[in-house]
Amino acid sequence: MVSVINTVDTSHEDMIHDAQMDYYGTRLATCSSDRTVKIFDVRNGGQILVADLRGHEGPVWQVAWAHPMFGNILASCSYDRKVIIWKEENGAWDKMYEYTGHESSVNSVCWGPYEFGPILACGSSDGAISLLTLTGDQQWDVKKISNAHTIGCNAVSWAPAVVPGSLIDQPSGQKPNYVKRFVSGGCDNLVKLWKEEDGQWKEDQKLEAHSDWVRDVGWAPSIGLPTSTIASCSQDGRVFIWTCDDPAGNTWTAKLLHKFNDVVWHVSWSITGNILAVSGGDNKVTLWKESMDGQWACISDVSKGQGAVSTITDTQQNEQ
Amino acid sequence: ITAWSLNCFSRMKLKQINRTAIQSWSPAQHHPIYLATGTSAQQLDASFSTNASLELFELDLAEPSLDMKSCGSFSSTHRYHKLVWGPYEIDAEGHPSGVLIAGGENGDVILYDPAKIISGESDVIIAESDKHTGPVRALDVNPFQTNLVASGGNESEIYIWDMNNFNSPMTPGPKTQPLEDIGCVSWNRQVQHILASANPSGRASVWDLRKNDLIIKVSDHSNRMHCSGLAWNPEVATQLVLASEDDRMPVIQMWDLRFATSPLKILESHTRGVLSIAWSSADPELLLSCGKDSRILCWNPNTAEVLYELPTSSQWCFDIQWCPRNPEVLSAASFDGHIDIYSIMGGSSQAQSQRQADQVRVNLHRQQTEVNPLKKPPKWIRRPVGASFAFGGKLVSLENTNLNPQQPTSHVVHISQVVTETAFLKRSDQLQATLSAGSFVDFCQEKINAAENEFEKTIWSFLKANFESDVRSKYLELLGYNKEELALKQATCTHTYTLTELNRGCSTWGKMSRHEASIGSFSGVSGNGSTDVDGLITQALLTGDFEGAVELCLHDNRMADSIILAIAGGAELLEKTQKKYFMKTHSKITKLISAVVMKDWQDILKTCDLQNWKEALAAVMTYAQPEEFSPLCDLLGDRLEAAEDAQLQSQACLCYICAGNVEKLVSCWTKAQDGCCPLSLQDLVEKVVVLRRAVEQTQRSGPTAVGILLAEKMSHYANLLASQGSLSTAINYLPDNTNQVCNTATAWFTSLYFFCSLRVKHEALEHALCHICVYLHDSVNQYPSGAGGVPIYQPLQYFSSAAPPPPAEPSSPPHPPGFLSQYTQPIPSQLVYPGQPHANQCLPSHPSHSPFYPTSSSSFSAPPSSGVSFQHGGPGSPVSYMPLLPLSGISGTQLGHGPIREQPLQSIPAEKITKKPIPDEHLVLKTTFEGLIQKCLAVATDPQTKRKLDDAFKRLEALYDKLREQTLSPAIVGGLHNIARTIESRSYTEGLNIHTHIVSNSNFSETSAFMPVLKVVLTQANKLGV
Repeated sequence: MVSVINTVDTSHEDMIHDAQMDYYGTRLATCSSDRTVKIFDVRNGGQILVADLRGHEGPVWQVAWAHPMFGNILASCSYDRKVIIWKEENGAWDKMYEYTGHESSVNSVCWGPYEFGPILACGSSDGAISLLTLTGDQQWDVKKISNAHTIGCNAVSWAPAVVPGSLIDQPSGQKPNYVKRFVSGGCDNLVKLWKEEDGQWKEDQKLEAHSDWVRDVGWAPSIGLPTSTIASCSQDGRVFIWTCDDPAGNTWTAKLLHKFNDVVWHVSWSITGNILAVSGGDNKVTLWKESMDGQWACISDVSKGQGAVSTITDTQQNEQ
Repeated sequence: ITAWSLNCFSRMKLKQINRTAIQSWSPAQHHPIYLATGTSAQQLDASFSTNASLELFELDLAEPSLDMKSCGSFSSTHRYHKLVWGPYEIDAEGHPSGVLIAGGENGDVILYDPAKIISGESDVIIAESDKHTGPVRALDVNPFQTNLVASGGNESEIYIWDMNNFNSPMTPGPKTQPLEDIGCVSWNRQVQHILASANPSGRASVWDLRKNDLIIKVSDHSNRMHCSGLAWNPEVATQLVLASEDDRMPVIQMWDLRFATSPLKILESHTRGVLSIAWSSADPELLLSCGKDSRILCWNPNTAEVLYELPTSSQWCFDIQWCPRNPEVLSAASFDGHIDIYSIMGGSSQAQSQRQADQVRVNLHRQQTEVNPLKKPPKWIRRPVGASFAFGGKLVSLENTNLNPQQPTSHVVHISQVVTETAFLKRSDQLQATLSAGSFVDFCQEKINAAENEFEKTIWSFLKANFESDVRSKYLELLGYNKEELALKQATCTHTYTLTELNRGCSTWGKMSRHEASIGSFSGVSGNGSTDVDGLITQALLTGDFEGAVELCLHDNRMADSIILAIAGGAELLEKTQKKYFMKTHSKITKLISAVVMKDWQDILKTCDLQNWKEALAAVMTYAQPEEFSPLCDLLGDRLEAAEDAQLQSQACLCYICAGNVEKLVSCWTKAQDGCCPLSLQDLVEKVVVLRRAVEQTQRSGPTAVGILLAEKMSHYANLLASQGSLSTAINYLPDNTNQVCNTATAWFTSLYFFCSLRVKHEALEHALCHICVYLHDSVNQYPSGAGGVPIYQPLQYFSSAAPPPPAEPSSPPHPPGFLSQYTQPIPSQLVYPGQPHANQCLPSHPSHSPFYPTSSSSFSAPPSSGVSFQHGGPGSPVSYMPLLPLSGISGTQLGHGPIREQPLQSIPAEKITKKPIPDEHLVLKTTFEGLIQKCLAVATDPQTKRKLDDAFKRLEALYDKLREQTLSPAIVGGLHNIARTIESRSYTEGLNIHTHIVSNSNFSETSAFMPVLKVVLTQANKLGV
């Protein structure tokens, strides 16, 4: 069910902390404690180094691709307290913007849905969350939520730009009434939901279930169903799935996906929002899927280090 | 205090407790986090009070205040030298908060129950013992067996207490000589039976409890080490550090027991004696120390460098500890009456930030240049793993593990394909294979064989009939009208002449009575009830057997009926009948007869009893004109679908299959199915694909437009395929008209389009992309930040790169056949069955309507055995076959309900109310482009292309609007004129090159509304060679 189709030797000189494919799955961005960000062209199973981005002065924690309609843009955040937005122009990658508004390590960056234009959320160990928006005159507008999480924010993730229940309720032709929302997780063991009201960011919900640092949060992509879903994972080894059915977004219920024996570092939803990849401190990745009766079941263990053990059929690999 | 350090101080300090006390954090397992404080022996405050207490404070980081909430206290008769908090029985009901162990002044070791202190109970002491001589300064809980506590007193006394059996402590071995006070004890963090102790004279001893003996002494023989601290390396079993309190030697020595002759490293930076050390269990590269020089240092003990100096007040700090649960939190107790809680990461409490806000402002410049407390981030924030999903069911995962320490760690990223719907993919592949091979009959037959229920079987049988000759009679047969069988029955009836015998004869065919009951369908028609003869006449009529019907009428003395029927049956029959016209009779099924003669089937279908829908459908099969056949089937299907009986509702599917109405089939099927699991979607798509192909082949209803519902289903299907990595198949199912999808466009969908545009030169996709671009453009423009009209977005690189001039078409690789194949591949216009003359060769008046309408010349050679009929279980013995007669003469009445065809939705840009004229100099653009489209339209043959061109024509309005508003940059306008010139000279490839150039050098928002459209036009023009 899970087969390695490409193994990219990044030649990073220290630990890799994040690897993200672009929108089309053609390029791979990686970042490392060696302070660099690298971009590889991985089309057709290849691994051509396209760019080696230097500019951070500390380990780089995360990278995030902007929607391609804004150009080829990558954001990175680092322990050096900086967020750098990189842009490719005429085949060359360069710094587009450097944000130095945080007082401590910036642990997470996440681009908002393209419907909102280029907007980046950044969560920092200083407890604040910054929202960077590219304005019409090519300036970056900064809004900051101070003390979002005491002693640090570890993760941010945007809500999809859908009005809950849009497939069902939305009268056609009417402009959708999107609300900008995102979720964050922090060292105060809390998962918090934020939403923009009259241009101001406000804490919308505070979800309590974890008993230790929340390491990552992931808002599931919407497939048009009225339910909002968020996954959160923690130092306490627990992964919770939060769901909200009510259109106002006020009532969230937590369901324990699993209690692992080790810290859970990362959660990631599949593009269709039905599979969750959970990465744990034991270096294991597990895939989870919700069954018809609403129970979450582990459908696969992804073992590391096996290399390309099996090839994929021509149909699946055919990328011409 | 410098401004810098004050600033820093404010940034790192989280909480403060105003006590001069020793402290212990709650164990890592405990939530929430508590800090226990105990009145320190050998310290008095200004009141000279000798009262002592034990207090618990909660570390609530969500609470912005600098104060810590006291959660319970206990007045004690003891003052304390040492506190440790262990997780003993923390999970059991006994001690939900573990056990707090205190070392007292007079040789006491006391076990407290923190849960009881919190709940305010009085009996907080679990057990106590005063076995030690002198004050108990050293305590440590075994990290592996949490019931074991080591304690150290005077005179080299070390006891190991088992909390399960507290009264009889053990010793680790014989007492060391000379007798000395024990200053520290510490369990090894890797090997559970190893214990170390140290005394102020500077020697450390390592004990092996399995041997019950001292195994090594650690000392540098300088006699200056005055041990105040001892800590094992959290990860390396053989390493420990010793701290010296002696001002003459204020160092921390790192020892490795494998080379215990001299220290491995000496950590020198304190200027006066070190009072306390703490090694972080979360990161072995972090060691805290505090000393009489009032400094708190954070070391990397492995390199002996000071990583960071915590800014402190001027007083000594005598006890420092890491919080076991929150790795970045540490506490320091100082002689100035405070316990301060810091974060090594530089977080701060809100109150503190506000308090220091002014200073921060003053020191703003300073802060800009400040560095993180720790240059290298602590281990606990260095994420070592992280698997993230990407487009197309790909999973990207990191690998940082180093299995072989001799080799440098390789840092690789794996890209994996995740497939979760294997059964679904397999069936999708089968469907693709069927499409490529065109083996629909086999496919349907397989489905019939594998069907899990009758209904499914029937549906597939109906679908299969589409690919067989003489479709209508096949349908009839499936509805239960087997001609051979009927012929036999009629024979019996007319030859026996008596009703009783007829009855007897009827009983020999099991299904007969069923058919007679079915006359009820025309009960409204035939008046009061029905007879057996009526039933037979009905059946004969339904199967077009005029001669038989006339025979039956005559036999039943229904002369008028027989004559009227005979007229419809042809001159010869009429003549025959007239001869037998010697008696008059009245028929009870006049209306049916009239319907047959008058061909007014709509009325019958509207009024018949739905329970007898089969008969109604059969009548339509037999009599309906080609052009009214589909609408009539639809009509019946609509009635069935509206019925309350769920059984009937689902039967509507069959009517829609007969009608070839894909969209209605989808809607009806969707209603009947609950859930939208991949396999049920596959079920639907299989049917849709087969039916579409059938409709294409038979040209029953011309090229079918894709309705909204079907588009949605197909998008979902494509999405599902894409999510499983089956991208090239997914492309085939993408609806070409993306307006329908845009309304519900989701990220995956647009990404799929973009993705496809990268990989496949697919005309339909380019067309689709136009729509998507316009859609995206519109939706983005809903959120312009700032009022300025300046475009903010950069050119869409991928889009431009995805749009190179198309290669000469003949050399382009063949596309896999699929959903879009109707305009990517020529469709064979005729069904090919060996040995079957094609029906439309005999029907010149309906050249495009294939095997539906049998002619008198068509022969029914060896009917393919479907193995399925709707009702007939038993085989009727084939006697004769009566060909269906073509209907002639009377033309059908105008249908009230005209054919309801789904119209493709086109989103036409809203007309502006008033429009400025296009500047004269640019009018040439409009005339050129429109002229080109007209030229293309004139030569384009297939409807898809025409539709595309029509659409392009409308969409170019966006360009003209921009020309009117004069908002386009000169470069783009110039480029457009260049394109217009290439059109004049008919060098479209050149035009496409210019197009690419414009797109890749312009703003997305500026050009997205029309450039893709223009490209479609140029491509088409090139292809059509106009």
